[in-house]
Amino acid sequence: MGLAGDATDSEVVRAVLGGEVERYAVLVRRYRDRYARYAARMLGSLDAGEDAVQDALVRAFDRLADCREPDKFAGWLFLILRNRCYAERRRRQREGRPLDERDDGVAAADRPDGTLEEAERMRALERSLTHLTPEQREVFVLKHVEGLAYDEIAGRTGATVASLKMRMHRAYDRLRDLMKEHL
Amino acid sequence: MSLGYHPLVKRLLDGELSLAELPPELRAEGAEALRLVGAVDRTPVVLSPTLDDRVMAVVRRHAASRTRRAWHWLTAPRDVELRLRVRPALWAGALAIAAGVALLLARAPGSAPAPAPVARSGARDSVFVRFVLYAPGARHVAVAGTFNQWDRNAAPLVRAGTTGVWTTTLALPVGQHQYAFVVDGERWVADPAAPAIEDGFGRRNSMVAVTMRGAHTL
Repeated sequence: MGLAGDATDSEVVRAVLGGEVERYAVLVRRYRDRYARYAARMLGSLDAGEDAVQDALVRAFDRLADCREPDKFAGWLFLILRNRCYAERRRRQREGRPLDERDDGVAAADRPDGTLEEAERMRALERSLTHLTPEQREVFVLKHVEGLAYDEIAGRTGATVASLKMRMHRAYDRLRDLMKEHL
Repeated sequence: MSLGYHPLVKRLLDGELSLAELPPELRAEGAEALRLVGAVDRTPVVLSPTLDDRVMAVVRRHAASRTRRAWHWLTAPRDVELRLRVRPALWAGALAIAAGVALLLARAPGSAPAPAPVARSGARDSVFVRFVLYAPGARHVAVAGTFNQWDRNAAPLVRAGTTGVWTTTLALPVGQHQYAFVVDGERWVADPAAPAIEDGFGRRNSMVAVTMRGAHTL
């Protein structure tokens, strides 16, 4: 086994399961930011995304013994985070609280190369994404924000490429409708 | 009434076609669709630097709680039944012998009759432990251990009808004890399912740990 930071996910998972609880910090450091953007976009705000990532990391620790393939910890953690994001959306729906429509990202107007029109369009798209179904929003985020191909998204979520495309194409239509004043 | 994108435009957004590959009449729609997707904010999201500490603080709490639960599970009252088979040639008259100990774990009440001369300092330090031995061919069975100075006559087991099962319940003081069954006053039988230790004289003894929450074999 290498140094703590060089250890593979599998090595770290086995060490933690063997009682070396502090080794879990390696996995926290390794994955805390990797899925942050996904969580923030899924839940509509950076704060909610951060809460989801924190909760997912804790849940992953609690269920670490259930991680049958420790070398695939990253994908397993993603599924926990994904479930957490879906659960949070359902909870807010039950409570009648929609997703935040704030723009937590860096608006184009704040960037040297951004224009006001681009900034407004970016904010409008952020708001529009909150009106998609969770499934549509997820596939849009994974493809157009995270830059994954359909087969990669299928590998992560367990959905078929055909059903992902169907969701995405419906999302395109919905977004066109929601964004018509900004296009 | 919303108007969806043309299927070819959706393929453009999926990256399967380029704008130039669209029919001329769809290029304006394609350009509009690209503006929509181009508005995506791909800015990396950076979480709070304190996230790691917060996660690890919770993780440490959960780990400590898990340890407590594991200890509780180990020491919670429950029956444990173990079996031992001895070759008939070694045991004249016995068809088979299975030995076991069932640990019936309950705090000894103050008013309980003293079951054996082992309750060290009254009820508060003692726990009832039930020993069970299946020995249909035996005439006499006892349990001896560190709790009764290995006296092979101090804690006899009682035969339960004609089932071949012998039992007794002893109030054992909190702590670790070594023990073994004594069959017909001469044969020492260690608990086969509990890890045993050598006693230095060629014999193997079983071990039981008694706490105020219960007991378990070691």
